[in-house]
Amino acid sequence: MAVDLSLTIGQGSKQELILRNPVMVASGTFSNGLEFAKRFDVDALGALVSKGTTLHPRRGNPQPRTGETASGMINSIGFQNIGVGAVVSEAAPVWSRWQVPVLVNIMGETIAEYGQLAERLDGVRGIAGLEVNISCPNVAAGGMEYGQDPEQAAAVVREVRRHTSLPFTVKVTPSVSDIRPIVVAVQEAGADAITVMNTIPAMAIDIKRRKPVLATTFGGLSGPAIKPVALRMVFLTASVSTVPVLAAGGVSNGTDAIEFFMAGASAVQVGTATFRDPEAAWKVLAGITEWCEQEGVTSLSDIVGAARRKD
Amino acid sequence: MTTEVTESARLYGNTHIVWLTMPPELHSATPGQFVMTYAGENSDPLLGRAFSIARVRTSDAGREFALLFDIVGRGTEWLSRRAPGDAVRVVGPLGRGFEPRERVQRMLLVGGGIGVAPLVWLADRLIEDGREVTLALGGRTAAQIFPAHLLPSDVEIVVATEDGSLGTRGLVTAPFEELLPWCDQAFACGPNPMFEAMHGVVRHSGLRKPVQALVEEQMACGMGICYSCAVFPRRGGVRLVCTDGPMFDLRDLY
Repeated sequence: MAVDLSLTIGQGSKQELILRNPVMVASGTFSNGLEFAKRFDVDALGALVSKGTTLHPRRGNPQPRTGETASGMINSIGFQNIGVGAVVSEAAPVWSRWQVPVLVNIMGETIAEYGQLAERLDGVRGIAGLEVNISCPNVAAGGMEYGQDPEQAAAVVREVRRHTSLPFTVKVTPSVSDIRPIVVAVQEAGADAITVMNTIPAMAIDIKRRKPVLATTFGGLSGPAIKPVALRMVFLTASVSTVPVLAAGGVSNGTDAIEFFMAGASAVQVGTATFRDPEAAWKVLAGITEWCEQEGVTSLSDIVGAARRKD
Repeated sequence: MTTEVTESARLYGNTHIVWLTMPPELHSATPGQFVMTYAGENSDPLLGRAFSIARVRTSDAGREFALLFDIVGRGTEWLSRRAPGDAVRVVGPLGRGFEPRERVQRMLLVGGGIGVAPLVWLADRLIEDGREVTLALGGRTAAQIFPAHLLPSDVEIVVATEDGSLGTRGLVTAPFEELLPWCDQAFACGPNPMFEAMHGVVRHSGLRKPVQALVEEQMACGMGICYSCAVFPRRGGVRLVCTDGPMFDLRDLY
């Protein structure tokens, strides 16, 4: 029995983004995919999201940048990336030879920079869409501050919308008292999907050194430890969203993915799990398919939001 | 890929050795390359641990490789408790290992603490190649020094300990300074302050000896996707230990 796993983002718009299945890799956990594509069949996945990209190349934060925590990790990489110019000239030509759509995750230090990034990436062969990052906890300017205020978030999204015809998702932060006003603001401003969520601001302390583990003191928590938080955020988002919800936060296997679908997500992004097992995303996909076959589910849309129904 | 423990023992001090069956994927590995090793069955501890391949041997069971490590946390604690027959998941070989020059004879190896691990296999290979090998080992105390009798007998061993309990008292950079004029090429593995001190020694010597440093930084993935293990070379930019290294030319770093 074949299971229909496909998903369309930006339905009805000029450039629809069609995912053959709902398994993506999360930004910052796959670099730009160039190395992995040599070893694994990236075309089998639903979509890839690039490393967070800024207008100019960035070296990122000093060491230490990561630390392990209970069933998770904290990171403060600080947006080390090759810059949008190199993404266009070096990565996109490779992506254009792949079947799997690639979304470029973009982050500006100002609202205007988001527009400039969107403009540079518009119409570039190999780039299927954008993920607008208004939720990075590890940068001094931009990032999360835009994601914590509905008006600022909407201003970023309008700026991006003005400068691109590409479909795009907006990646939001869990560091808000209520996610729903942010979701409403960004979808009204033109977002085609919402990525829920980025890492949770957190810290760890090294008692031997009597210092924070990370050079930047704070970082973002990811991994299985944050899945219950992400599930709630997805559930809340789905209560107000009119566009597809892409769930990120501790997805490590097929069961995790099914939980997120039932909470209201249309796709999942596999992130930190890839660090433990480079084939994690493919295993999540296999797990979803197997579960659907066992349960007699022929279309994934049948279970999206299942846990939201009151009966 | 899954490997099986064939032997596990405390080798000296707080340092353990675990021998594992060597899957065919690892047969192409060279000294200085590493594997990611995953502790536990579930997500805790979450991340892989990077270990240099410390030695390779062939027994009745086929080819095996060794990991040499100090017990410093949950991952190494877990690994030290594996018994023969237990499965351990690994990914590798990863990174860029040592690159000994051809047609040079005098090889100086410098290990600080557990940094000796990749140098053991390198020493084995260089001796097989018929080169002259001097291994300078440093540690806080005698219990941190790899036992001389476990190395090929042709390896010349020089030891420095900070407390003077074995060899000369002081840091391994002192014997490095003495031996630098002798060697054609040097290879080092140890903590970053050791590399920095070695770089100072090379610069003050005025000798243009090639020194390859095997760098360690915290890794989450080992495969170039998490950007944890960044190093910042003197000339600018940023490199990743896992994919650009772990072997770097010492003069590119400082």
